[in-house]
Amino acid sequence: MSQQILLRAHNIAVAEEMAKDDKVIVIGEDVGPKGGIWTTFMGLYPKYGENRVIEMPMAEAGYSMFAAGAAMMGYRPVVEIMFADFATLSFEAIVDVCAKFRYNSMGKHSLPITFILPQGVGAGSGAHHSQSVESWFANVPGLKIVAPTGAADVRLFLRASIRDDDPVLFIWHRGLMISREDIPDTLADDEIPSLKNAGKIVKEGNDLTVVAYQRSLVVAQMAAAEVEAETGKTIEIIDPRVLIPFDKEKMFASLRKTGRLLVAHDAPERGGFGAQIVTWAVEELGTELKANPVSVCGKNTVIPFNKLEDYVVPNKEEMKAGMKKALGL
Amino acid sequence: MSFTKEQMLDMYSELARSRVLGEKIVEFIKSGKISGSIHPCLGQEAVTSGIISAAKISGLNIYHTGTHRGQTLMAYKVGFSPFIGEVLGRTSGANAGVSGEYHLTDIEHGLIPATGALGGTWGILDGVAWAIKQQGRTDDTVVLAPYGDGAVSEGATFEALNIAALLKLPILFFIENNGVAMSTPVSKQYPLENLSERAKAFGMQGVTVDGNDVVAVTQAVLDGLKLAQQCIPNIVEVKTWRWEGHFVGDNQAQYRDTSFLQHLDDIDPVLIHEKKLKELGYADDAYMAKVREEMTKEIVDAFDYNLTQGFPVRETVLDYNRLYSNDAGGEI
Repeated sequence: MSQQILLRAHNIAVAEEMAKDDKVIVIGEDVGPKGGIWTTFMGLYPKYGENRVIEMPMAEAGYSMFAAGAAMMGYRPVVEIMFADFATLSFEAIVDVCAKFRYNSMGKHSLPITFILPQGVGAGSGAHHSQSVESWFANVPGLKIVAPTGAADVRLFLRASIRDDDPVLFIWHRGLMISREDIPDTLADDEIPSLKNAGKIVKEGNDLTVVAYQRSLVVAQMAAAEVEAETGKTIEIIDPRVLIPFDKEKMFASLRKTGRLLVAHDAPERGGFGAQIVTWAVEELGTELKANPVSVCGKNTVIPFNKLEDYVVPNKEEMKAGMKKALGL
Repeated sequence: MSFTKEQMLDMYSELARSRVLGEKIVEFIKSGKISGSIHPCLGQEAVTSGIISAAKISGLNIYHTGTHRGQTLMAYKVGFSPFIGEVLGRTSGANAGVSGEYHLTDIEHGLIPATGALGGTWGILDGVAWAIKQQGRTDDTVVLAPYGDGAVSEGATFEALNIAALLKLPILFFIENNGVAMSTPVSKQYPLENLSERAKAFGMQGVTVDGNDVVAVTQAVLDGLKLAQQCIPNIVEVKTWRWEGHFVGDNQAQYRDTSFLQHLDDIDPVLIHEKKLKELGYADDAYMAKVREEMTKEIVDAFDYNLTQGFPVRETVLDYNRLYSNDAGGEI
């Protein structure tokens, strides 16, 4: 066991999967000697060379399509899009090629490909480098979407994503890139999780269920501690870790206990994934819910430059207010 | 190289098959038996026939996609009857009538699905070509990437050419230039005499040949494939004519001088090859009529058979294990 930052967890996971399976290849910009702008591929180019670590020109559309073609031929590409926002240029490859390939081959051929998408605020990088993009893709059947929060889960679920036979968008949050967690030195094959039933109860409680991920999860944990101290209520927090397929049962079981729901994410509220989570909860629980669900999400606006970004994503006070509202206080 | 009598006659069979198929598809669309927007290949038969002839003569395994008008090429890959089945949306289709002609996928036979907007497709084929090179298969396997003159205006095209050149991929970029992209003439699509000139920008070789002459197309494809086998990506452009509108029912008189339709003899790929075969003494009118008759029978039989087959059922369409691996076990 050793403490690692989240960026290093990516590097460990990719290195482990490349060592296990020679069909795993890396495709992206700056992935050669530099090891990727986020150090995801550090040390891999010297070890495996240009046939497994393919440094591409700045051509997201071209190399995302290239990766899809290589996957059709039996390879297992790990594609890094430098900023999740730049997936706009890979959209056709992800949405029209990867997501539909298995269906159009009558289910005969899977397309095992992992797109790593670093998303979110935290560096003050402005409108084109800070967006949270999960719901751009959540409406596309055929994709799986993985959104872990901490370093340990990044390592586990990046390995699980690379092993999965379907196209996976592995979305991590740049605002948490130097957060630290303990990571086991080695993992046995049976310790690599499935993408199914991946929800995790981060903290148990009886009066309110919070479903949140990535930066909003961290904010929710801080807010929950204060709300519990102020109100005497206890709050259960669920990190879904994987958005598609979503672990509905874990959420339903929690809601049967608490009867109250708050969802939180950094992405804009309108059309966001939280709305889908609320729909599932309301359809399943109906009048078992004691109050209307509450969402605390990003504002429906453009992400501004520098520290101004703090105005558009949920902060602790907004989260506390949302929790109190959901608790009926 | 010059082609043998047998090869020249086989090219004629391919031309005849393509012509009859084009005519039948138009007929069936008009009678409402085919849905969707299939783009007829009439007038462009030398293009697919040339590719198929080159594939047969070279003996190479060729991975490729279809094009808007590459029906015979797709049928060559998946089998004639399964192709017609897919066109008709029946369970006897190559993809059980669910994906449709346009998204036909058959990796075992080397048919890669094209994208809807087309322009991204060359990138996919780059990846396929990389895999073939990586697997050391270029002695008998290459990629042919067919596009029309419209798709080459899409930005992803340039990225794909650049990547192919950088990675020295075993791929032939094949441009079927029929003079009009949907309704827009090529003069408004690119400011060049020939699209093959674009090869220079990527350090590649490029040639342009008469796309109505199946012999010229076959030769150009053979040459291009040979380069591709040596991991020298290259461009072959063939110039042809589109006789029909962009799709059946498209009134092309709105945007195009259609007077050429009164003078098809000079540009008709079937007639051009018939003339050549007669001059060479390889075939007479009776022979060629017989070939056309055989092709018509094969195609009519394929339509008749597939028309007796059923349509996919709801359970097939909503089979989530068809969508996801790992036993999705239902909607996720």
